[in-house]
Amino acid sequence: MAPRTPDLLPGTLDLLILRTLQKDALHGWAISERIQQVSEDVLQINQGSLYPALHRLEHQGWIEAEWKVSELGRRAKYYRLTTSGRKQLTIETREWDRMQNAISRVMQLA
Amino acid sequence: MNLRDLTLRARALFLPSRAERDLHDELQFHIERETRKLIDEGMSPEDARMKARARFGSVTLTADECRDERGTAFIDNTIGDLHYALRTFRRAPLASLTIVVTVAIGLGVVAVLFTVLNVLLFRTDSVPDVSEIYAVERPQQANEDLSKFTRQRFEALRSDTNVFTEAYAKVNNVDLRIDGRTMAVNLVSASFFRVVSVSPIMGRALSAADDDRAGGNPVLVLSDKGWQRRFNRDPNVIGRTVLVSGAPYEIVGVMPEGFRGLEVTAPDCWAPLARLGDFFPDVRGSEEKVGLEIVGRLKPGVSMESARAQLAAWDSNQSATTDRTMSIELLPHRGTVSQSESFEVIAVFTPLFFAFGLILLIGCANVANLLLARGVARQREIGIRLSIGASRARIVRQLLTESVLLALAAAGGGYLVSRLALETGVSWIMRTRPLDLGDVNLGVPAADWRVALFLVLAAIAATAFFALMPALQATRIEPVRTLRGELVKDARPGRARNVLIGVQVFASALLLICAAIFLRSAMSASEFNPGFRTADTLMIDAFNDSKRDAMLQALANDPTVTALAGVRPPLLALPPRAFGDAGAGKVALSYKYVSAGYFDVLGVPIVRGRAFTTAESDEHPVAIVSESVARTLWPNGDGVGKIFRIEPDLTAQQRSAFLTINPEAGAGEPPLTPRMVTVIGVSKDVAGFRVTDVREAGVFLPTTRDAPKTFLVARIQGDADLARQTLLERLTRIDPNMGMIMTLRTVARLETFFLKMAFGVSVILGGLALLLTVSGLFSVLSYLVEQRTREIGVRIALGASSQKVTQLMLAQTARPVLFGLVAGAGLAASLATLVLASEFGAMIAAIVHVTDPAAYLSSLVVIVVACLFAAWIPASRAARVDPMKTLRQE
Repeated sequence: MAPRTPDLLPGTLDLLILRTLQKDALHGWAISERIQQVSEDVLQINQGSLYPALHRLEHQGWIEAEWKVSELGRRAKYYRLTTSGRKQLTIETREWDRMQNAISRVMQLA
Repeated sequence: MNLRDLTLRARALFLPSRAERDLHDELQFHIERETRKLIDEGMSPEDARMKARARFGSVTLTADECRDERGTAFIDNTIGDLHYALRTFRRAPLASLTIVVTVAIGLGVVAVLFTVLNVLLFRTDSVPDVSEIYAVERPQQANEDLSKFTRQRFEALRSDTNVFTEAYAKVNNVDLRIDGRTMAVNLVSASFFRVVSVSPIMGRALSAADDDRAGGNPVLVLSDKGWQRRFNRDPNVIGRTVLVSGAPYEIVGVMPEGFRGLEVTAPDCWAPLARLGDFFPDVRGSEEKVGLEIVGRLKPGVSMESARAQLAAWDSNQSATTDRTMSIELLPHRGTVSQSESFEVIAVFTPLFFAFGLILLIGCANVANLLLARGVARQREIGIRLSIGASRARIVRQLLTESVLLALAAAGGGYLVSRLALETGVSWIMRTRPLDLGDVNLGVPAADWRVALFLVLAAIAATAFFALMPALQATRIEPVRTLRGELVKDARPGRARNVLIGVQVFASALLLICAAIFLRSAMSASEFNPGFRTADTLMIDAFNDSKRDAMLQALANDPTVTALAGVRPPLLALPPRAFGDAGAGKVALSYKYVSAGYFDVLGVPIVRGRAFTTAESDEHPVAIVSESVARTLWPNGDGVGKIFRIEPDLTAQQRSAFLTINPEAGAGEPPLTPRMVTVIGVSKDVAGFRVTDVREAGVFLPTTRDAPKTFLVARIQGDADLARQTLLERLTRIDPNMGMIMTLRTVARLETFFLKMAFGVSVILGGLALLLTVSGLFSVLSYLVEQRTREIGVRIALGASSQKVTQLMLAQTARPVLFGLVAGAGLAASLATLVLASEFGAMIAAIVHVTDPAAYLSSLVVIVVACLFAAWIPASRAARVDPMKTLRQE
């Protein structure tokens, strides 16, 4: 079994997905793979929450999907950030930074 | 929610297979990609596939969660539930049908009542802003009738006060006979049409000139009902005329369908109030004194309270001349019964709802019993669903869907049952009603959205309570044990079943006892002797004095009429009050004027002295008294030849035949002039009819048949109904607005008629109750026998005789049945005691024998026999159980 994924703060998964999709369109597997690689295996996304999250973000209009032929030669669903998704990402990133600063300040000074 | 979201949802909803395939492909792709990665890392394809699957976890669960994100889960689930429910019904069609039909019958009978109640209480007229409309009333004062307004006071109210945008005055429900058919007319001031602000669909409404107090115009505005009933929706009806008291009345307008003129039932037409005299020849000349009802539309912004205060102040100013303390009330007037009447309606309908509701209760008890039995069978199914991962909430939702589906089907069925019952009921009443009651037009009350809402809510309540409860019970199980085949018996199914049977028997007993009481009372009522000759006596309304001579002539020449006499006021009207004084102080009496031949026509014997002769007219100082009056005035003597003084009781209010004459105006029949009279005869006491609350008078003064306002009674030969019909035709030719002719036999039969109607309703309800009870008892016992076959087999194998087994099974039902019987009879008896104690009860006790022991006994015997019959079939089947066969089956 893979090492246990630390519990993500609520809402962080959405932020991670939006951030991962900032550059190019990816399918679900690639998103989880990218997050895992970049976090050096610290963050392993549970598929059981990844796909519902993707569908939720799609419904909210922050990402949109397109069926394209994948690297396996089969059709796969690629997600891409929409304009409103980009705005949302900026907001959430700012929010995240604020939170992180606050937490680190508490950790250092309290 | 944005556009993209909407398109996604719509796609999921309308192209569910596309959305499902995409979802499936997306998740499968993930697993395949993962497998490829693992293979690339050097795993064998089989291991890689397995590992990828394991990493992903449950595909179904993830897919489910994705579907939830879609937001169509609710609809998806509901559709699924519906499919599932329909499949369940198909699997047990008989059980589902039984539930629907049983609840539908119960709902149907309750809906019948509600439909009528709706018409009386809730169905407001389709008039714009109907909530602004109020009736102006002077509350009833002790021992006096509602005092009404005169035309003059109405006009003063319109000009002096400032609370209504417009108000109208009316006289309701004037029966106008035109060519032998009755039309109901409402006489209204012209302002009526401005108050309601509804325009005619053809022609025009009444104008101010039509209702000019100096004369007005002879015109009519038809309601949709009158247009249809009397003119068959003739498109050229405008301009046609009908004769009212000899005057041609022109039809000038037709009002739209659905408009009832702020009444519970629409009149056939509206006529100008100023023409009152044409409709009531006996008040001609004193029209201004007739009491009117006033209705007005409040000005916007004027509250009901301030309007009431202003009107009360105005009214007491106006009545300064009298010493009466006046107060005014404003009551909503919206085309339903008035507030005071609605209390009576509720008082009448509450026990009816209780009785009709019993049928629904019994039906529901049957359903519950059925489902308790089926609940055991469903435990297994529910257990399987629970163990493959369905949540309890999900299953409860499923069961709820089933209940609602059943409820809706039952509501639909209930609607059909109620329409059928109303149609047959009304047509039965119309067919069996005595014809001489006149041209009664009893319509089938329409059902509207309120009835539909009532049905749906009642159906949901009924099924939720009786169908869902057992089902919920069924979800409280342990899946593992059920799958192993160990069914969890609910805590005490036997007790629940017994209570249900007891309740059913109780309700049937109550209803059947009522039916038996009504039947017995109807039988004894048909033997009641009112003291009048009823078989061949006619009452003839002859209020049109200008046609009196011609009518008398025609009657005298008619071969079927063998004797004719006059009476004033009419035979069945309240005789006026008076005081008699034979020297020993004033004694309260009632009197009436009768002509020679009166006692002969009615068959009332003169026990002493003689009857009036034709020579004795209004002014003759003679009188005939009844035996009881003779006894009161002269305790020690026979009365004949004695002299006493009679004077009117001026404190009592006087009435004309139909209208309330305002006592302030002091109009009406000329009061009796005080006089000394000699008693020439003593008549036998007469019981009178019990349906009308009118006692026969005690003192009879002489008059002649041709005196004004005198009504007629006639003895006829041959068939009474036939004679009535031909006489009516003959007299209608003389006076087209001729009133009614009624045989006294009909009056005598009215009592029986109403009792028979009550019997009919209660015997149908009681029969239904018993039928449902018996079928419920039968199915429960059959089920029990089936369930206990093994036990019975063992008993028989151990030597129990078949008689013993039958007894055992019968004993099962004996207790709840006995309990129900005792409770039903007990409640009926205590209700009867309660009724007898009330004022109203004492009045009807003479007619309805509420404590008739024979009625109680016979209905209880019927129930016991029916229950024995229902129980005996399954019980004897139990006795025939073959022990070898049952034991081998195990």
